[in-house]
Amino acid sequence: MAKQVLYIEMDNCIGCRSCLAACTQCGGHDNRNRNYVMDVDPLQTRQTIPLMCLHCVNPACARSCPAQAIQIADNGAVLSALVEKCIGCQNCTIACPYGIPKFDQEQNLMYKCDLCYDRSKEGIPPMCASVCPTNTLQWITESELAEKQAVHKLAGGKWLASQRPEPLEGETNVKISLPGILQGVQKLF
Amino acid sequence: MERAFASKVAKRAFYTVCVLFLASYVGTRFFTHIDLALYGYMVGTVVFIGGFLYRFSAWADRPPTKIILKKGLRLLLRKSTPQTAVEHLATYRFIWNRGWYRWTQHILLGWGCILSALVTFPLVFGWMYFTMGDNGTYTVVAMGVDVLKVKADGWIAFLFYNALNITAFMVIAGVCMALYRRLKNMQARAEQNFLYDFLPLYLLLFVSITGLLLTASNLFLHGFGHPVMSLIHQFLVIVTLIYLPFGKLAHIPFRPMSVFARNYREHYAEQEMKLCKVCQTGFVSAEQSGDVVDVLGENGIRFEMAEGFHLAELCLPCRRKYRIFRFTGIPTHYRSEKEANQHAKG
Repeated sequence: MAKQVLYIEMDNCIGCRSCLAACTQCGGHDNRNRNYVMDVDPLQTRQTIPLMCLHCVNPACARSCPAQAIQIADNGAVLSALVEKCIGCQNCTIACPYGIPKFDQEQNLMYKCDLCYDRSKEGIPPMCASVCPTNTLQWITESELAEKQAVHKLAGGKWLASQRPEPLEGETNVKISLPGILQGVQKLF
Repeated sequence: MERAFASKVAKRAFYTVCVLFLASYVGTRFFTHIDLALYGYMVGTVVFIGGFLYRFSAWADRPPTKIILKKGLRLLLRKSTPQTAVEHLATYRFIWNRGWYRWTQHILLGWGCILSALVTFPLVFGWMYFTMGDNGTYTVVAMGVDVLKVKADGWIAFLFYNALNITAFMVIAGVCMALYRRLKNMQARAEQNFLYDFLPLYLLLFVSITGLLLTASNLFLHGFGHPVMSLIHQFLVIVTLIYLPFGKLAHIPFRPMSVFARNYREHYAEQEMKLCKVCQTGFVSAEQSGDVVDVLGENGIRFEMAEGFHLAELCLPCRRKYRIFRFTGIPTHYRSEKEANQHAKG
């Protein structure tokens, strides 16, 4: 099976929050969601953007964990803290550049998106991607990803229809596409 | 003196073995009361110490671990330490909050193992032994001092004789609960693998069963098969000890870190809170924010933004809003609108 990745086309998001609801239903997520849907311009527009763990290639959360509780799976998923190792220091929540990990004070345990590892390791899309009604969250193979990204290059690379890498801190396993147009001068939002 | 040892591990191992040796010297009344039947366990334990120190030193040298260990040790005398320690290490309150099933399983396994260790290690190193001066009365000798006289057929003595049988039943019950969960729980099934999750359970199970078989052999079979079974038991215990620092069971010796972490958070939160560079609310202690920035820097991760702040200096909602700003160019993090509710109800 070709390696599959989570791909986020942010301009498709309609703010239905199906991904949040689906996240709660993943096995082991214990009825709590681990992702976010953010307003782009609250009180001005209805546009939203899903924000979730982007599964950094060099994850700051795992680097800052004193207990080595955050493991990286073979498919690149940065897993939620191992329950027996997490000591509840919350370094990971401070280190994450995107503010993703959540912390449960009662259980003294951090929890974060694990790319629904029980599903994604079998090639089944994560819960959020499998319910997204507008194809904002997509579970696609790397060749499909390359095709999509090729479309963003206009006029032989002179123009870029989506600013892919710049808005992130370092390389991530989850790929994103922003609707930036014409070298980031103007946005569709 | 610093140059006498090839490495920190060597130094720690040397001192640990010296302390053990001295404790045994005193405890056995100058090596007059060594239980040589337990000699194999003694060798196994020394090997275990080597492995443990190797693992511990590798782990303690990681930048974030070093910080928590150093500052945690310094804060060990905080007033709240006893309560935190009891809740984290004895009653497992946080596991209760994860569910009664897991708590029951962990109490049985955890205390079964801890009590067994408290019985066996003192016996192995001669820190505790029994003598019978008068017929029918045992004297308990701890660290070379007579501490207690018990009637040989009394209930305290009964508990002494059967301590390991009782803990064996606790461990077996706990292992069965854990194995059942690993077979039934879908999340556990997704992430578990044999070496990390099952092997320690099987080892504990076999150690407990062979231990009970020793008792059974004494009680019902006039000691039939006892020598062979005691060797099998010894082999399994030593394998478990050697494996302990490298697998899942490593969380037993490392768990006291959670007390350090709690003290670290509480103490420095009282000192000074870090104010979010955007919304000016305190969200974590200034110390921890600084430590995380340092640790990330040591790992070559720098999140200094053009706006003049490090991402670890932003509270979590502001950090998320800031990321959306980076996506869209609309600086919502400087506006007062609160983040929309992000908690779906499952």
